[in-house]
Amino acid sequence: MREAITVRNLGYRYPDGSKALEDVNMDVYEGERIVIVGPNGAGKTTLMLHLNGILRSTEGGEIELFGKSLEKMKREEIVKEVGMVFQDPDDQLFMPTLFDDIAFGPINLGLKEEEVRERVEKAISIFGLSGYEDRPPHHLSFGEKKKASLAAVMAMEPRILILDEPTANLDPWSRVELIGMINELNAREGITMVIATHDVNAIPELSDRIYALNRTIIEKGTPREIFFDGELLKQNNLDVPDVFKLFEVLRAFGVRCEELPLSLDEAVTGLTKMIETEGGHIHLHVHEHTHEELGKWKRKYEHHS
Amino acid sequence: MIEYPEIDRYSSLDSPMHRFDPRAKIIAFSVLIFALVLLYDLKLAFIGLLGSILFLIASKLPFRFVFQHITWVSLFIVPFLVIMPLTVKGEEFFSFYAIRMTREGLEYGMLVALRALSAVILVLPMIATTRFDLTIKALDRLKVPTMLVQMLMFSYRYIFVFAVEFQRTWRAMAARGFTLKMNLYALRTVGKALGTLFVRSYERGDRVYNALRSRGYTGNPRTLVEFRMHARDYILAALIIGFAGSLHIISFVRVI
Repeated sequence: MREAITVRNLGYRYPDGSKALEDVNMDVYEGERIVIVGPNGAGKTTLMLHLNGILRSTEGGEIELFGKSLEKMKREEIVKEVGMVFQDPDDQLFMPTLFDDIAFGPINLGLKEEEVRERVEKAISIFGLSGYEDRPPHHLSFGEKKKASLAAVMAMEPRILILDEPTANLDPWSRVELIGMINELNAREGITMVIATHDVNAIPELSDRIYALNRTIIEKGTPREIFFDGELLKQNNLDVPDVFKLFEVLRAFGVRCEELPLSLDEAVTGLTKMIETEGGHIHLHVHEHTHEELGKWKRKYEHHS
Repeated sequence: MIEYPEIDRYSSLDSPMHRFDPRAKIIAFSVLIFALVLLYDLKLAFIGLLGSILFLIASKLPFRFVFQHITWVSLFIVPFLVIMPLTVKGEEFFSFYAIRMTREGLEYGMLVALRALSAVILVLPMIATTRFDLTIKALDRLKVPTMLVQMLMFSYRYIFVFAVEFQRTWRAMAARGFTLKMNLYALRTVGKALGTLFVRSYERGDRVYNALRSRGYTGNPRTLVEFRMHARDYILAALIIGFAGSLHIISFVRVI
């Protein structure tokens, strides 16, 4: 598979001299969904700002996009390849109306007016924002602003999409809707995604692989590999999905669950399989080790409570 | 939910002023405003005020909205009516101990008040009858320097964001028992809250600039908009500019 983003030995210091990133190495393949996890202040946003050339390394290192050095690429080339959706939509929606905002990027790409209008219309219809074209951003709800931010970036048709905390502050319905939209973009258009999030329950749905970052890359792997690494989670203030924890508890009550599910879909499949193999029902009981196992389970997540 | 002080709240109404092409509207009313503030004849300034009121009535803007906007500005006009008669030398028409008022001062005060009031009134049919983003785009099409247009554009976008942020800070202060009183402690606290808002604005400015650059901003944003001049726009613009010109022609003839 072709590499979309290659990061080698990247380092960065904030203007006050403190280290933000140190020897970061990453490989993101075309069409992959990568989630970056890490505690607050781990450098997630700083790393993302490097991926679209907004920040330049102060400590050496190199970034390549589709095999081409970012240093040698012009600003227009970079923005054409990499779209970034910022955490706060009010930072991103800076034009007076939604139409102007979505048109902003395509105009800067030097497209003809007709094509700009086509792209704006397409983005508006994909993200369900029809009828909002002339609205100023302060007349949109937070969820609508978030969708508008995504539409504004997607109108530039980038091959790589970077999302900083896409589900933060969204109500449950908007959150589910946005996760669906992100996954659809990846599945339908093959867009490579790099997502920073604290939303552990969304990670299994949003990621093919995870990079754990705490100034440097401390671990990488599939969601299953990362969520099973208890020590890693504990040392870096990371958490696991609720459904994963619930099935750990069920295990303590005697449920014979071979593979702990990371998402509700996996839970449904796993439960169905279990019930089918156990003669039409599952059996919960308190056995001699139940309390001991529950105590261990509790201690495992104590630092999170 | 915050109530935004939007100048274009009634831009969706239908009136001759609302239908007026934004570019022609800006030019015609700007000419009229300059013409009125440069008048030196009290009677002509009064006619100018009547004309301004007529244009305002033609805009069909609700009285309450107009009143809200004019009241605050009028507070700055009233002092001229008081100070001028007391300070300008001339024929006394009223005296009470050391207080002496002159006819010339009163006339000059009235002239200043009439000119200012006309200008303020005319701003409403000029700006409040068009969506503000279209006004900004019209300024851009009129080749107003891009730096000014961008300042206006971003101010318009972020003034509402800062209003919400300040309201949030204010509520947080009120939730912890702060009430605004005229004492040093209260003023110092408000000063600190405003300072925090400035720091936050600076940080937001940084983030917005990053967002701008990540979508290819190079310092000169363009927008797509179609303006089309119709015969009625030319007629209305000629009428307004003609009114402005005729006031000055009369003024010139009277001087001669």
